[in-house]
Amino acid sequence: MKKPGISFAILVVTAALLAGGCGTARRGAPLAPAFVPADPVVARGQQVFYAQCHHCHPHGEAGLGPALNNKPLPGFLVKFQARHGLGTMPAFSQDRLPADELDALVAYLAALRASPAPEIAD
Amino acid sequence: MLDRSLLPATLATLLATAAGCYSLRPSAGAGQADFSPPRQPRAEAVAVPPGYRVELVATGLTFPTGVDLDDAGRIHVVESGYSYGEDFTTPRLLRIEPDGRITPIATGGRSGPWTGVTHHRGNFLVADGNVLEGGRLLRISPAGRIDVLVSGMPSLGDHHTNGPVAGPDGWIYFSQGTATNAGVVGRDNFDFGWLARHRQFHDVPGADITLSGESFTGENPLAGGEGRVTTGAFSPFATPGRPGQVIRGTVKCSGGLLRVRPEGGEPELVAWGFRNPFGIAFAPDGALYVTDNGYDDRGSRPVWGAPDVLWRIEPGLWYGWPDFAGGLPLTDSRFRPPGKRSPGFLLARHPNPPPQPIARMAVHSSANGFDFSRNARFGHEGEAFVAIFGDQAPTVGKILGPVGGKVVRVNVRTGVITDFAVNRASESGPASRVGVAGLERPIAARFNRDGTALYVVDFGVLLMSPGGAEPKRETGVLWRITRNQ
Repeated sequence: MKKPGISFAILVVTAALLAGGCGTARRGAPLAPAFVPADPVVARGQQVFYAQCHHCHPHGEAGLGPALNNKPLPGFLVKFQARHGLGTMPAFSQDRLPADELDALVAYLAALRASPAPEIAD
Repeated sequence: MLDRSLLPATLATLLATAAGCYSLRPSAGAGQADFSPPRQPRAEAVAVPPGYRVELVATGLTFPTGVDLDDAGRIHVVESGYSYGEDFTTPRLLRIEPDGRITPIATGGRSGPWTGVTHHRGNFLVADGNVLEGGRLLRISPAGRIDVLVSGMPSLGDHHTNGPVAGPDGWIYFSQGTATNAGVVGRDNFDFGWLARHRQFHDVPGADITLSGESFTGENPLAGGEGRVTTGAFSPFATPGRPGQVIRGTVKCSGGLLRVRPEGGEPELVAWGFRNPFGIAFAPDGALYVTDNGYDDRGSRPVWGAPDVLWRIEPGLWYGWPDFAGGLPLTDSRFRPPGKRSPGFLLARHPNPPPQPIARMAVHSSANGFDFSRNARFGHEGEAFVAIFGDQAPTVGKILGPVGGKVVRVNVRTGVITDFAVNRASESGPASRVGVAGLERPIAARFNRDGTALYVVDFGVLLMSPGGAEPKRETGVLWRITRNQ
């Protein structure tokens, strides 16, 4: 078993990364290669994203809510937060976001996050 | 591995940090920036997809809001003459000459905002928001003669008379925004500037409605903040509503989409229940679409998290304002502002179940003028190209990252939204916010007649402070985007 101090340090570092993000959250056209889903599940997840998520996390960037694209959120955490909500984020019930749509959404977010970030000289 | 006993705390901490601790973070809106004139825009600062090209057509405009071309292909722009922040200038219709010179065609006195223009049968049709005397639809001849086609629109408040566009049926379509954010006159309207001018002004419905009777009590800015007053929906400031009270509807209503014959006359109501239906366009298949600016988190009845939307219009329907946002009821907990209660319904009965939007755009993004691509040479035929003005936080509510300052395209079959023209920066937002020389506040997008060039009207710099809007004159720009052959 690791010492509690080491566990706490891992927790703090991970939390800081999630809070601050890692680099730009921008993805896809026109700053980077266009993100065109080839996988039909990812394509379905894209439509779910624009129906349910985009207005608070535009294109996965910050807006009313925080950015998603530059945070290494594991899929199970995305699902947990979508189902239970947290803070100002609402919970999405099965009626509003069926399980297959949530699975597709998680696949889309992972694919979008993994797509190339633009190279921008600020 | 983490100690199992720490797992619940770990999950909670990770989620809390991922959620961004909304309540603890300051607003970071599109207008929360610094600016020192002159604005020096550069086409290279704007990114578009490979194969497209951006050009500067005109600079130094003051609050431009619309563009169209005449039969000879000459470019015409309207300058608003008014901006949020209570900055009154002179509304103007201008011709942009091929060498960049500007020729005034007509001026409107002190009657802004002029919110859009369309060239129709040799004349220009202009929507005159006229915050001082009421909204109008104007016809302006090439020689500058102004005729009034429609007058008396309820445009004295937060949102104005918008449009116009010519429909395939020969009618002229235009729209009217609401007086208030969410149906109740309050302190925020005093801060906008209009409540002190028009103390009796309020929203009017497009059909007879029955009120739930909910009223809202707050300070009285008209009395220097002394005392408290109670105001009901669709009622003048300091006038309570009653359960079962019937408010008579009218064609010239708040949040309405209307049409009128090109020669003028009495307009007809096409649909209502919008909040601020700023953009109007017909798709290549003849369907009518409208952009609608969603609710703000302000005033007596604040609403949180309401998206801007793109509607496909079915005539005769009510689209949900003031009780629904993007087809969802405001009683849903997702619209409850942090630390406040959920908005209740203002209407005892709703005219119809509101439709669902074609696309939900970013909250507070101010999705405005748009047009459809109809030429394969430009690409993306049948998609809507929408000017995204950008948020006006913190006045409209807090936001964690700037939104807008770009042009997007919307696939109206899937609802998927794709950035088309953005600033070359590590985050979205107007040029002054993200530190580049590109797009500031796109407010209209319109194709030329053959659909080979997209003109983007850029209102210019609009900063936001806790005191409200701070528009900057002579910072407006007209951009043109074409595709290389």
